[in-house]
Amino acid sequence: MFNYALRRILQMIPLLLVISFVIFALTALQPGDPVDQLILGNSQITPEDVARLRAAYGLDQPIVVRYFFWLTHAFQGDFGWSRTFSAPAAAYVFQERLPNTLMLTLPALVLSTLIAVPLGIFSAVRQYSVLDYVLTFFSFVSFSAPIFWIGAMALWLFAIYLPQVTGGLISLPPGGLGSPDLAPDAGLWATFIDKLHYLILPLSILMLREIAVILRFLRASMLEVLNQDFVRTARAKGLPSRRVIYRHALRNAVLPIVTLLGLSIPGLFGGAVLTETVFSWPGMGRVIVEALTSKDFNVVMVALTFISLLTVVFQLLTDLAYATVDPRIRYS
Amino acid sequence: MKNWLTLSALLIGSSFLGVAVAGPSNNSLIVGTSQEPPNINDPWRTNNLAVATEITWYMEAHLLGKDDSGDLYPEIATRVPTLANGDYKIVKDAKGNVVRNSVTFSIRKDAKWSDGTPITPKDFQFWLKVQQDDRVPVPTREPWDKAKITVQDADTFTVTFDPPYLFADQITSSVGLNPAPSAAMEKAWNAFDAATKNLDPKTGAKQITDEWNKFIAQFTTSRGLPKVVSGPFKPSSWRAGNSLVLTRNPNYWLTPKGGADKYLQTVQYRFIADTNTLKVNILSGQLDALSYVGLTFDQAIEAQRSERGKYKTYFVPGATWEHVDIANAGPRAQSLGLTDKRVRQALLYSIDRDALVKALFQGKQPVSNTWVSPIGKLYKKDAKDYNYDPAKAKALFAAAGWKPGPDGILTKDGKKMSLNFTTTAGNKLRERVQQILQAQWKQVGVDVNIQNFPSTVVFSGDFAPRSAEGKWDLFMYAWSNDPSVERGDLWASQNIPSKDNAYAGQNYPNFDNADYDKLWNEAKTEFDLGARVKLFDKMQAIWTDEVPSLPLYFRANPYTKVPGLVNYTYTAYSLYPSWNAAAMGWASRGAAELNTQK
Repeated sequence: MFNYALRRILQMIPLLLVISFVIFALTALQPGDPVDQLILGNSQITPEDVARLRAAYGLDQPIVVRYFFWLTHAFQGDFGWSRTFSAPAAAYVFQERLPNTLMLTLPALVLSTLIAVPLGIFSAVRQYSVLDYVLTFFSFVSFSAPIFWIGAMALWLFAIYLPQVTGGLISLPPGGLGSPDLAPDAGLWATFIDKLHYLILPLSILMLREIAVILRFLRASMLEVLNQDFVRTARAKGLPSRRVIYRHALRNAVLPIVTLLGLSIPGLFGGAVLTETVFSWPGMGRVIVEALTSKDFNVVMVALTFISLLTVVFQLLTDLAYATVDPRIRYS
Repeated sequence: MKNWLTLSALLIGSSFLGVAVAGPSNNSLIVGTSQEPPNINDPWRTNNLAVATEITWYMEAHLLGKDDSGDLYPEIATRVPTLANGDYKIVKDAKGNVVRNSVTFSIRKDAKWSDGTPITPKDFQFWLKVQQDDRVPVPTREPWDKAKITVQDADTFTVTFDPPYLFADQITSSVGLNPAPSAAMEKAWNAFDAATKNLDPKTGAKQITDEWNKFIAQFTTSRGLPKVVSGPFKPSSWRAGNSLVLTRNPNYWLTPKGGADKYLQTVQYRFIADTNTLKVNILSGQLDALSYVGLTFDQAIEAQRSERGKYKTYFVPGATWEHVDIANAGPRAQSLGLTDKRVRQALLYSIDRDALVKALFQGKQPVSNTWVSPIGKLYKKDAKDYNYDPAKAKALFAAAGWKPGPDGILTKDGKKMSLNFTTTAGNKLRERVQQILQAQWKQVGVDVNIQNFPSTVVFSGDFAPRSAEGKWDLFMYAWSNDPSVERGDLWASQNIPSKDNAYAGQNYPNFDNADYDKLWNEAKTEFDLGARVKLFDKMQAIWTDEVPSLPLYFRANPYTKVPGLVNYTYTAYSLYPSWNAAAMGWASRGAAELNTQK
């Protein structure tokens, strides 16, 4: 197991180098560069100005040279400057945006799992019951309705309609991270309540999708396991139903969920682009989109390389978790 | 368990309670905008974004300001320099050519930085020194590369332009000479100087720019808020991605009628990237006003329908010119007849622009006949108006040798008039205009293929400047310019992009006319406004006859504000509502209305 993990970790190094070069090349090969945006709003810019600015931003060098410049600096811990956010790219991504994304996505994943797992088990055990139909309907709707539409409807309901009909008694803010007029010394409780206020809508919308996904996967997996011989044998032995479901069936049915959660964790860091956009939540997803559209290469490199790193790391951890959950799997 | 349930219910219940909204109750203003600037209060404007300038003007005073009528007023200076009062001087040679001009400013005795120290000529010298420094990545150094500041006494200095600068008598923020707090920035500037002076400006350009970014970020960003400002407001907090709060600067000297305490004490900017969410914020009453960078025209029309007296929507005639460039050069343009002015004129006669602006913009964005803003002094009022006339269009096509083929499409020498028409994909309004134009051109036999790309693609060096290489035949987009400093640069042949100049010019249609160039060169050094108007009349006459581009309309900029908020106004002259930040306030708090939205 140890040798296997070590081999996989060593394989990650060339893989990440290739990935980082591909990201760099794809970003740099997009049409346009940051100087084009400066030209557009200024009819006084001369050809000499353009050449000077391209050199100043290092855009006059071939892509390979620029990549090696970036790589050598990255190895020294310098991930470059973000033109769009006027800050060191890595510090901005990890200190300003990542915490916001985690604040939104971690509770969404934890709460969704806590809610979806019992519902998924119930739905499978009581197949074709009324509640099973209700849950199936709920997961199909949550899965198929576009997030930007559900988000817009939620905003309309909680920020416009309900405040009007209840005279402001029920009201949620239409997006943002918190009240701008909240005093910096407002105290922990006031800050927490204020944050909760702003978090409640995006978190709920994000959870709808997560719950639907986990519920569907677990239901299908449980149904498959419940019909297998060893479950029938367990039941025939006279074991209590609860013990059959939780000790025998669930342990086998949970494997696809381990995969699902393992692979969705890097996605957590990447953020929920649509939810963040609709609810003006300044997280990682939005930063990647903003950086790509404004040709902010350094931010794109930091954010996407980090997510790639997480993806390969969590793939390894998922594989290792398999061995723990399923004793039949052994790596050597 | 019961306790947990109670706590959860309390938490959720408290979350649903209404959100506090600012406004007259605490004499504050909440402004919504769809864009967040990377930095604010950068005296050298290295990012060139409208939203950055708008926010900066709350915090930055200027020698001269420009009001909604385009009139200059002194802010840091004691008076507006003119030839009559002797503060503006023109030096001519024996032939009568202006060889040099200069402008003298006296700084008000009470003009202070927010830390209480006086604003002095040294602050303007510091600005100019940095602006002229080769290491600093300002977008353009013109006209400051040849300017010189001479200090007369503790409060007075003269700026000399040699060669002369056409708009020397209008030194507002849009042309530069912004005050920079030399005392506050000096130490950091010296550190930048020491870190970069041994670097080669060519090979070390990127390192130098990175060092510059580190220097300027200490004074202009959410992590390094501006420390010392000159304007009526100073920044107090900036939560990146969320909001920026500005509070009134007690050391600002221009006091509005009745005293500063009757006017806004804080201004909050809320950054809401998604314009639909921005609209929800207006409808739900979370915002008092919208920034210059806010809703799209369509969304503003929708917002106008839902006003119900809670806010009012305004459409400010702007200086942003929507048009369709025509490829005027290259083998493809040649084969499609676009190099023939009769074909270009016919393309303009074939479209009903009046009906278009009426149908799409309720007439709020009037048709333009030239590229010069109708509110500018240089606008040619009797410019040739190509009223919709399909018969005339067909005759012009026929005169140029284009006859309808069996399918109704114009044909010449076996070649069909099939044009590629591009605009910024995703801009719904432009896409709708494009479809209307496509249908109207079809009526006269012109086949138009729509080929749209994202704005990052069309405004890249690989696309927009390459009409001569056949990248596009028709290209719809907009240019923006302060109408009081119009120079006609866009159409000078000197600005035609080509391989030789690394596609750097902005004359994208490749318009090349010797008569226009001659007049442009004269206008560049014509200091008499009356004479310049005559030159621009001729330039616009040539331009409207040649039709290098199809003028559509000048865009109106929409915004909303709630009733009772006064002096939150702007025009294409004053550019942003923040020009009048000191006088913004609530009528119910005693703020006097000095300006109404035109």
